[in-house]
Amino acid sequence: MQFIINIFLSFSIYSLLIISFSIIYQSVKFFHFAHAITITLGAYLTLLFSIQLGFSFWFAIPLAIIGAVLISVITELSIYKPLRKIETSSWNMLIASLGLYVILQNLVSLIWGDDTKSIRTWPVKVGNEIWGAYITNVQIITIVVSIVLFIATILFLQYTSLGKQIRAVSSNSELSNIFGISSDRVILWSFIIGSALAAIAGILIALDTDMTPTMGFHIFLYAVVAMIIGGVGNYSGLIGGALLLATAQHLSAYYIDSKWMDATAYIILILFLIWKPLGFSGKRLKKIDI
Amino acid sequence: MEYILHLIIFILIYILLAQSLSLAAGYSGLISLAHAGFYGIGAYTTALLSVNYGLPFLITLPLAMLLCGITAIIVSTISLRTVDDYFIIITLGIQVVVFSIMNNWQSLTRGPLGIPGIPALEIFGFQFNDKVSFLFLSLFFVVIVWFLLHNISRSPFGRVLIALSEDEIFTQSLGKNVYKAKIISFTISAMFAAIPGVLYAHYISYIDPTSFTINESIFILSIVIIGGMRNMWKIAGAAAFLVLLPEALRFLGMPNNVAANMRQIIYGAILIFVIFRSGEKLTPVKVSN
Repeated sequence: MQFIINIFLSFSIYSLLIISFSIIYQSVKFFHFAHAITITLGAYLTLLFSIQLGFSFWFAIPLAIIGAVLISVITELSIYKPLRKIETSSWNMLIASLGLYVILQNLVSLIWGDDTKSIRTWPVKVGNEIWGAYITNVQIITIVVSIVLFIATILFLQYTSLGKQIRAVSSNSELSNIFGISSDRVILWSFIIGSALAAIAGILIALDTDMTPTMGFHIFLYAVVAMIIGGVGNYSGLIGGALLLATAQHLSAYYIDSKWMDATAYIILILFLIWKPLGFSGKRLKKIDI
Repeated sequence: MEYILHLIIFILIYILLAQSLSLAAGYSGLISLAHAGFYGIGAYTTALLSVNYGLPFLITLPLAMLLCGITAIIVSTISLRTVDDYFIIITLGIQVVVFSIMNNWQSLTRGPLGIPGIPALEIFGFQFNDKVSFLFLSLFFVVIVWFLLHNISRSPFGRVLIALSEDEIFTQSLGKNVYKAKIISFTISAMFAAIPGVLYAHYISYIDPTSFTINESIFILSIVIIGGMRNMWKIAGAAAFLVLLPEALRFLGMPNNVAANMRQIIYGAILIFVIFRSGEKLTPVKVSN
């Protein structure tokens, strides 16, 4: 039972991260590596506002989310937008975002140090018991918040005007421009929404397992793996990918050792590439030239 | 003087790493983030063989290259089923898997404790235990690899690589086997990466997984990108610059841990700057349908 709760916890965090990343990925079409640092920043800014500056916890969280979003908006405006204007290829953008990740992660290390930090102000206690398994309050909050946000984001993309515009730009940005949808504005919005979700995920993770400057990178890579397994742009596929990844990781942690969870994620990815290179959804991984 | 020799040896090691990567990244457009993984495989192979079985350098070097080559063939046959961005993510995955093997397979690699007491390099009874002789040995390998890469890039095979990095479909239409050419270039690149790994292990005489992390991979790739992907001399210059940078920062009076972070911040910034400056000039990986 504990096992199922653990899987479900990872699964809900992964699905929140996947949706936050795939909003950005679909509109800009490259792997925005600095997304990993948004996750970390969400957690560290909460630390800054709540413990170091002494604001109340419920005031610190929105501030942290705003701060993390602001930084990613600045990146989009100062780096990605000019790069899009000179029409560099997507791997150039990827390298630029990797450079950005390196810069920001080291800044976090410089400011807060490399050791593990905690934003918990309450004592650690044994969680609630459900059918012989234990789950802490924080974990319940994590699961609920992640799933609610995941569903809300999908509904947002399906039914609101802005959501439809994001989907339009994702499927064909040139055509959207012709129809009067400014792709730059939509991309900016997708950065705002995606980063806010990522910052929330970062805070939830930090509440549960504390934080280090590299925490975002590992969890971000899991989300990328789950996204590729699931197939880009297919929501049920994404859920499947997150579930498969979470299950496989916890199976390997249970039967072998928890330190092999990183390797398991990638072995799954490689196995998928051998037998089902197009992901769950069967949508092509390759991009189509117009 | 010892210190300067030490720095030069490190520069030579990074020149070897960057130039081997430039064959895959610059010529065939396979941007790889797994290079530190292959570097690590080379280092661990020679360390384990020479510490546990006392095998000499002339046997461990080919074995290390062979192991890297075999790994690279397996890995590239699988990962080349995808294209551009996805390929980079897969190589990142390979890097993570290799690192977690080095870090977690404790019965073989002793995990985070690392492998101490790697013997000094010895060829036909001559021990390379002082810095000067080691420097000449590294230089010898740099010259050999430089010469080989120079010839490969000008051979018919090299021309196929350049062609496919510019237009993959067109190259295919000329009857060239693009898939095979990519696998070969990735494999050669990985095999060459074993050489600096072997040199590093014998030079430092102690290795642990922290030398072969993802950051190291990004660092090697940065050298290649800053060096302009294909230009051997510029890559050598970029390697020297990036290796000397933290030393310069230390002279400015920064404490060691701050200098380490500053070094990464500076090369991250240079990386973004280079991408801005070069724009389309860096050979892009073309999309294949």
